[in-house]
Amino acid sequence: MSARLADDELLITRTFDAPASLLFALWSKPEHMRRWMGPANFTCPEVEIDFRVGGAYRAMIKSPARGDNWFGGVYREIVENKRLVFTFTWDNDGPSAGVETLVTITFEEKGGKTVQTFHQRPFLNVERRDSHMGGWTSAFDKLAAYAAQIAKEHSA
Amino acid sequence: MPDTLSVTLSALADPTRRAILARLAKGEATVNEIAKPFDISLPAVSRHLKVLETAGLISRGREAQWRPCRLEPRALKRVDDWLWRYRRFWTESFDRMDAYLAELKAKEKRK
Repeated sequence: MSARLADDELLITRTFDAPASLLFALWSKPEHMRRWMGPANFTCPEVEIDFRVGGAYRAMIKSPARGDNWFGGVYREIVENKRLVFTFTWDNDGPSAGVETLVTITFEEKGGKTVQTFHQRPFLNVERRDSHMGGWTSAFDKLAAYAAQIAKEHSA
Repeated sequence: MPDTLSVTLSALADPTRRAILARLAKGEATVNEIAKPFDISLPAVSRHLKVLETAGLISRGREAQWRPCRLEPRALKRVDDWLWRYRRFWTESFDRMDAYLAELKAKEKRK
């Protein structure tokens, strides 16, 4: 992975107090994924996983404020307890719909804890990339927080 | 022709315009009231307001002299609906993953 991230890439590294095999199961087994997928205030009532290279997954998260949100993709690489690569696309209408992204997750276990490195980048053609406004970097996080705050204040 | 979201985002890509929106989040205001805290001319403020209005981020009253501006939250909601699917979606999912792992560990201990 290059040292510099493009604007439209996302890299999130986190250490979890669990072995890599358990983290891997959290990503690959529906009964586990149901319990954690989705931001705060969401539930994940639907998960279907065909866990093999070339196999598809599809899931839905929902919240009272944002309704049902489907997403899915295809597994590209599976290295048990070490590495997982899959495509990820939102089904919903709107600007984020239909933008296929590639997610790569690696797991590195050290002393019972596991460092999970999550990387997501879009598959955009050049035209789409050029018209893509801004990125997913920290400026956008601030904008997201700002927009959420104002949307919340005015829906109260 | 740029799509609605692009128009909204380029309107938001300016610190003065975001400050104006923050001011209007507290309630409607006239051009003079909006201009007060800024070190810029009234015509410059009016130009910013025009951009915000075109982007659907604010609306203005009809009276020619007294045209109070108010925030239109719908356009910001569209931005929010687009953004939450990126970083926030994953970081908050990983928070829940952390909590779920703690729950599994506690269950394991009870056995």
